[in-house]
Amino acid sequence: MTKNINLTLKVWRQNRSRPKGGFEIYNAKDISTDMSFLEMLDVVNENLIVEKKEPIAFDHDCREGICGTCGAVVDGQAHGPQKETTLCQLHMRHFKNNETIVIEPWRARAFPVVKDLVVDRGALDEIIAAGGYISAKTGGPQDANNILIGKEIADEAFNAAACIGCGACVAACPNASAMLFVGAKISHLGLLPQGRPEAKKRVMSMVRAMDRLGFGNCSNETECEIQCPKAISIKNIARMNRDFVKASVS
Amino acid sequence: MLPDSKVPAGPLADKWDRHRFELKLVNPANRKKYDIIVVGTGLAGASAAASLGELGYNVKNFCIQDSPRRAHSIAAQGGINASKNYSNDGDSTWRLFYDTIKGGDFRAREANVYRLAQLSENIIDQCVAQGVPFARDYGGLLDNRSFGGAQVARTFYARGQTGQQLLLGAYSALMRQVSEGKVKLYARREMLDLVIVDGKARGIVVRNLITGELESYSAHAVVLATGGYGNAYFLSTNAMSSNVTAAFRAYRKGAFFANPSFTQIHPTCIPVHGLHQSKLTLMSESLRNDGRVWVPKEPGDKRVPEKIPESERDYYLERKYPSFGNLVPRDVASRNAKEQCDLGKGVGETGLAVYLDFAEAIKRDGKNVIEAKYGNLFEMYEKITGENPYVTPMKIYPAVHYTMGGLWVDYNLMTNVEGLFALGEANFSDHGANRLGASALMQGLADGYFIAPYTISGYLGSNTIKSIDTSHPAFDQSRKEISEQVSRFLSIQGKQTVNQFHRRLGKILWDYCGIAKDEAGLSKALGMIRDLRKEFYKDVYVPGEGADFNQSLENAGRVADFMELAELMVLDALNRKESCGCHLNTAYLTEENEPLRDDENFALVAAWEYTGEDKEPVFHKESLTFENVELTQRSYK
Amino acid sequence: MNWFIETFRTSIGKKLLMAITGLGFLGFIAMHLMGNLTLFAGRDAFLAYVEALHGLEAFILVAEIGLLVFAIIHVFMGLTLYLANNNARKVRYAVQKSGGGRNIGSATMPYTGLVILLFLILHLNNFSFADVSDDRTIYEVVTATFASLGYVVIYLVAAVALAIHIRHGFWSLFQSLGLNHDKYMPAIRKIGIAFAVVVGAGFALIPIYLNLTV
Repeated sequence: MTKNINLTLKVWRQNRSRPKGGFEIYNAKDISTDMSFLEMLDVVNENLIVEKKEPIAFDHDCREGICGTCGAVVDGQAHGPQKETTLCQLHMRHFKNNETIVIEPWRARAFPVVKDLVVDRGALDEIIAAGGYISAKTGGPQDANNILIGKEIADEAFNAAACIGCGACVAACPNASAMLFVGAKISHLGLLPQGRPEAKKRVMSMVRAMDRLGFGNCSNETECEIQCPKAISIKNIARMNRDFVKASVS
Repeated sequence: MLPDSKVPAGPLADKWDRHRFELKLVNPANRKKYDIIVVGTGLAGASAAASLGELGYNVKNFCIQDSPRRAHSIAAQGGINASKNYSNDGDSTWRLFYDTIKGGDFRAREANVYRLAQLSENIIDQCVAQGVPFARDYGGLLDNRSFGGAQVARTFYARGQTGQQLLLGAYSALMRQVSEGKVKLYARREMLDLVIVDGKARGIVVRNLITGELESYSAHAVVLATGGYGNAYFLSTNAMSSNVTAAFRAYRKGAFFANPSFTQIHPTCIPVHGLHQSKLTLMSESLRNDGRVWVPKEPGDKRVPEKIPESERDYYLERKYPSFGNLVPRDVASRNAKEQCDLGKGVGETGLAVYLDFAEAIKRDGKNVIEAKYGNLFEMYEKITGENPYVTPMKIYPAVHYTMGGLWVDYNLMTNVEGLFALGEANFSDHGANRLGASALMQGLADGYFIAPYTISGYLGSNTIKSIDTSHPAFDQSRKEISEQVSRFLSIQGKQTVNQFHRRLGKILWDYCGIAKDEAGLSKALGMIRDLRKEFYKDVYVPGEGADFNQSLENAGRVADFMELAELMVLDALNRKESCGCHLNTAYLTEENEPLRDDENFALVAAWEYTGEDKEPVFHKESLTFENVELTQRSYK
Repeated sequence: MNWFIETFRTSIGKKLLMAITGLGFLGFIAMHLMGNLTLFAGRDAFLAYVEALHGLEAFILVAEIGLLVFAIIHVFMGLTLYLANNNARKVRYAVQKSGGGRNIGSATMPYTGLVILLFLILHLNNFSFADVSDDRTIYEVVTATFASLGYVVIYLVAAVALAIHIRHGFWSLFQSLGLNHDKYMPAIRKIGIAFAVVVGAGFALIPIYLNLTV
């Protein structure tokens, strides 16, 4: 049932006048347990504005868990303590009255902080530009049903394609590695017959781009899979490794 | 003066072919001499930018989000229509055309809608070629389902995430062009002005959302694919950054705004709970394939749903519309939900909800089958509400979802401002007064992949456009005006936050310009909106600085535009003295309480021209002629 | 050969090297343990085993060179990755909490690795480079070493470190080599844990047994 709780927030603040950043403490009072985490931040921000203070900057957009814009590390967990849940879908009923919550931005060298909880995830776009596509020109493809794709393969490709590009895998990885993100895209496209012709080139150039952009390496700790809001499997990393070996030796 | 709609002559089925032939081409070697600005990276924007880049133009592509992959198209759940007739149930281009134009209650252009139906098949082929993982059957063929208001199974889907998968397809095509150097991406930029030189759209001024700097970009043509304006209502299913600003600033620069009052209110959303709610979440319409909508027969029945026996439940959609039942089009379903709640039969804490019950489907097909079909939606519902829909019926209520209105465009998707094109939800063109489910994705991609690349080439090929750059004084003027607006917001230093104003604006629109409207309410709303605007400019407080990452400032500009737009929406609603599709004026109803059209006087597109701040806009009318379909009273009984 | 070097300069290439060399060590460790278990059968059995092993001189030489090369690669790559991974997140989280993927093995790989490396130097110094003669065979060297409680403790620590290292390393190398399949991975994970326990227990029991019995 709905009730109201009080919380103490310890939030990372970083801006031009405070380039190194640091934590600030805020009280969030009378927070309805029906609110989402971002709605709770909205309330805190509205109060800050009324007090003529600068609100906390955070990224958010669809607020239904699909656009991948939002995200922060809440008490040491990417997107907070609930499994398979983005920050916008995390609801306050999962927190206790008088709890202290620590909120930090994604931390990775490849994701520089823009302001407060906002980071620059442009590196993920750069990886996709390096080869995360099928070169299908607009116009004139064959009939969609000419390519037969069995349900199992289609489903597996879909599971990988469900990645929302939020960067939680990088944030959660003890090494700030982007392998789950890259592995998911390589799996999605590589599993489909349409994606096979470019598979070799794709895995080589995406892996190189990932390395160039300053992400860490994978040490198979599986934190990415566990903290991924879409539960993308590390099998996709294995598939990438496999494809990379195949592409390298052939 | 409203320019010609440029609908080509000839039989409906041949119009597009013939028009494509008549459009001028640009020699491949010359294309690199043209710059094209595309604002927005949703389905329409990304597909247009990618396709134009492939053709060889220099494309500058802007988005408000941190990455082009986050545009709000990503949130579309249900699917995309195409008249492939893979299900062998009698679908055809003509049937899709007819369903769409009838679904829109005969307030769209025949030629545009027919073209959309024609192109629908190419879209599926294109997306599959890009690797969009549509649902397949065990034999490897594409699977289809039927969807809101259609009696054929023509909807292609990728679980409940079709929009995401289609957008990622378009995004990947876009990123390919980025890597080839044909498209230059500008993320975290908000378009704040359209720059017109010698009567032609020649550029834009954007605010860099990270630094707060105003940046100018010039081009030979400008494409707006900036989505809809449902967020004028504050609570809607739209993403938080969805806004009208780009389209509205183009309107202020002379582009006509068509049918602004045509707002679709989606019937199956999670109801409002609590004061601090920031958005409403849609539950895919596909749920109505198996869920049964009901309310208690007796008003004020506060028993938990399990305690209400079958005989005391009113499955009102099945009762009133026996042939379509729970699958009636969106406007009908929404209106009926409101009607039941107005009768006091609404359920839940607020009394503003109806049940969507899966008990029978679970009993019939088993929990596994229902879980396979809707598992992710059920999970989402449980995450938000804390209730388990396998056990207790969902509570749903209508919410603002899509805006059929938008910038007026001709058959080429060009606005009345030469060189300014509008695609996707940003234009008004294809859905009339009500959009059918799974048609928005179709339209966005048709516009971007298969229409704009031809018509923009046609425009560039048939016009001599002299080269200018951003040193042109028109850019300085725009930047100056925007700077003044920014300073104005920051200098008011009032007491209320931008959000507080937005919330109040939304309530006015929802109460008086929502599911059902009447003249008294609309007139009242007009006054309220004007007062609110005055108050806004006296008492808003926008913290921070202009030259910084400042989300409050971004919002202030958007809400200011929403307030002006809201006035226009209400004016348009007042002006249309009929009911049609989503526009329901309670003075115009059939005996059965269905919307009563006035085809004689209102088979038209209302295109509004801006004349200045606080001045009445000028109404232009584009008469709609129907040569191929007979205008009938929609009946879903 | 350029492509070959290029491959191992990538992140995945480095992982592959760790996996391949790790696999080599697993094989060696299994053999080494099995051989050393002869210690439980007494002096003669052990010396017979040593004798037989020395009979395979050419094979031993190749294996030793191979292991040395593997060790250099494994240590060097491990160090490179450790530094690079640290560098990939310059500002650490104030709250560091696992979502449940990390375990004692995965979280301590560089440290258990270092312990094993240091141990290895000691171990080689103790036994491989020990002076042996007819009246002081390797068996006497071993028993003399384990008569010291200090050595026993060091060996126990190393055995535990090795078990922890293998606990993560075993399944992890399959993942790195791309061999992760729903059907087989659960078994691989279980075998990995069993292997770690057996190896850890086996190597730990030898010094204890010798200390107590001889």
